[in-house]
Amino acid sequence: MENLAAAVSQLASFEVLLAILIGTTFGTIVGALPGMGTVLALVVALPFTYSMSSIAAITLLLCIYASSVYGGSISAILINTPGTPQSAATVLDGYPMAQRGEANLALGWCTAASTFGGLFSLVILIIAAPQLARFSLRFGPAETFALILFALTCIAWVSRGSMLKGLLAGVIGLFLAMIGTDNMTGMPRFDYDIGVLSGGLALISLLIGLFALSEVFMRAAKYVPEKRESKVANVGFRLAPWREWRIRIKALVQSSLIGTLIGILPGTGATAATFVSYAEVRRTSRRSENFGKGEPDGIIASEASNNAVTGGALVPTLALGIPGDGGTAVMLGALLIHGIIPGVQLLNNSPEVLTGIFIVLAIANVLMFVVGALGAQVFTRVLRMPEPLLMGMVLVMSLVGAYTVRGNPLDVMVAVIAGVAGVFMRFLGVPMAPIVIGMALGLNFEESLRQGLMFSGGDFLSFFQQPIALVLFIITAVIIAWPIVKAFRARKK
Amino acid sequence: MKTQITVLAAAILMTTGLSAPATAQYPDQTINVMIPFSAGGGTDVPGRFFAQEMEEILGTDIIVTNVEGAGGVIGATQLSQADPDGYSLGFMPVGTTTTQPHMRETEYGADSWEPICLVAQGPMYVTVPADSDIQSIDDLVQQAQDSNVVTAGPPPGSLPHIGQAALAQMLGVDFNYIPHEGINAVAQSMLGGRVHMTVWFADAGERFGLRPLAILDSTRSEELPDIPTLAELGYENIENYVWFGFFAPAGTPAEIVTTLAEACDQAVHSEGFTSNMDAANRQVRYMPTDEFAEFFASQFAANGERLRSLGLAN
Repeated sequence: MENLAAAVSQLASFEVLLAILIGTTFGTIVGALPGMGTVLALVVALPFTYSMSSIAAITLLLCIYASSVYGGSISAILINTPGTPQSAATVLDGYPMAQRGEANLALGWCTAASTFGGLFSLVILIIAAPQLARFSLRFGPAETFALILFALTCIAWVSRGSMLKGLLAGVIGLFLAMIGTDNMTGMPRFDYDIGVLSGGLALISLLIGLFALSEVFMRAAKYVPEKRESKVANVGFRLAPWREWRIRIKALVQSSLIGTLIGILPGTGATAATFVSYAEVRRTSRRSENFGKGEPDGIIASEASNNAVTGGALVPTLALGIPGDGGTAVMLGALLIHGIIPGVQLLNNSPEVLTGIFIVLAIANVLMFVVGALGAQVFTRVLRMPEPLLMGMVLVMSLVGAYTVRGNPLDVMVAVIAGVAGVFMRFLGVPMAPIVIGMALGLNFEESLRQGLMFSGGDFLSFFQQPIALVLFIITAVIIAWPIVKAFRARKK
Repeated sequence: MKTQITVLAAAILMTTGLSAPATAQYPDQTINVMIPFSAGGGTDVPGRFFAQEMEEILGTDIIVTNVEGAGGVIGATQLSQADPDGYSLGFMPVGTTTTQPHMRETEYGADSWEPICLVAQGPMYVTVPADSDIQSIDDLVQQAQDSNVVTAGPPPGSLPHIGQAALAQMLGVDFNYIPHEGINAVAQSMLGGRVHMTVWFADAGERFGLRPLAILDSTRSEELPDIPTLAELGYENIENYVWFGFFAPAGTPAEIVTTLAEACDQAVHSEGFTSNMDAANRQVRYMPTDEFAEFFASQFAANGERLRSLGLAN
């Protein structure tokens, strides 16, 4: 209670309140811009924090961190371009829903799910941060490998139509992740002596190309000037009625739990969490056949989990000083600059700082809902813009976004090439999400395998001797085998 | 019509202004300082502190850009090919400038730069988990001889890797080095009991509760005065520390380098920079242009030699 009073008195200043407001608004907007994800939003704000009091600085960064993850889904739903890689899975159901003219409803699902996920993970962070942080240390390469293997089964769920094409796309994604410097040897791979390639490809420029640019190209090819859109796009923000929510509480809790748990594991990341959650919710949902056609369950699976990652990723960051993802890594750097050293000592020596962080996060998550609900009135109006104007804007924003990722012209070229490839893939009926899944998880998949083999002296069987890994392997095997068994049984009858 | 003329005149003024920067007093436009690693990281933090002071001293805007990838090679390559007009500068660490060119075919080398000044440094320590049975370097040798010592650090060729390889060579033992993505992943493995030892900076203790055994330098450090050198423990000293310097591309006019060098002297010794570095637990180390150029050349040669003796470079 003393902590609470101390924390509240620290937060009750004009500077801090302003930081909360600016941080949440700025985070949401930057998150929504394709290419400018969580990390970039934090980086832009970083220099401003140098001259702020440390409590205001942390507040600003925390608010940006939490809200930028949400912002990424706005553009995913409205213009088929995930603003951040964490929102890649939101595209799958969010965009079809917007195309049905229900963008306001889609944003409602996504905003409420995001807030729920964020608050859910915060509760877990408050209750059990030290214990969970200790648990996360048991996650070695074998466990990470098993978890990513499980996440890869998601490729099967998003490969509608042809499984073979989906698997092929997944393998292409895995291969794209291998381009660049190999962390195990420090040597460049598949760079064909082109200097810039030795830094690898940026996932976000691939996302921009596959989803946004290919959409622009397709629409430009099909465009007929006189034709009016038959469907009137609903603008604004609308929450689904309670009966719709009631049947989806299970999905909400399930994906928030998955997001929090994966967030706690350092180095696995929000993108993996969204795909694991998507796979799991789809597996257990009664409405699984609607997935990919604009099913709210799909939006919930993605959005509740990626926002739940924020609280989860802060568990090891605050309790151990080990950041859970790219965003928390930047924040950790900022904390160090302000002389606050996260880790065991922070928990013991300055609990009021920690309590302050919890309060700020709670406010940020609620405020995010308000900003989202108000902002949606403006954001959704882009759908009423004349199509050439909207597509032109998407084109420009996409190319600028691809460049800002790393300040590397290569990323713009990758985006354009991916855009052209995306057009071909649409014609050939090859699903695009598997490429993204493969590329997002590829490097981690490979490194955890190689690292695990190095620890065990080349003995792969040792992977099965780790209890957590073994359980994950068994679940994965069951998921893969189940449809085959089911099909076999059906044929017997 | 009137507005058109105004616009035209403004345009002419602007273009002539832009096309003749050489005649004007340097600096008269925005300076770009490239940092070849991600924001908030080990190189970025001192780099941004430094740029902040330089901006004030030079009286012009400075934009810090992070060009990440491949151990800093991508950013360094970009900078080495930039116009040497004093408006593209870089804040780069030892690895990017003196080890990477030996390990792979980079498009830049020792003579691609005008070194301006040395800004900061950080010594490294032989570090073990707090609850480890290894209490001393002797214990480390013993365990390496009896069973095996698993070590970890960033990808091969990184300074921590070179440091532990040099240590193994000096001690006459073998370590089982497992590459990790960075210190955070290393800390995860060490606290999880999968790794016995790493070579890292002083902050490993405070951040992760790791325990330093010895410093890899010829003298003890101010930040951890209780940690002995290897020579004090009866072994040969190893010097393995990271440093951060301020560079311009080769061919930058001498008078611009002088202006920058003078500004650098002021910036490094400014109240703002030293207190910021102090708060972030980082060490300032200054060398003026001539001294730094010499130091850079010797480091380039020495690190090449070391990498070859470890079989990491040809």
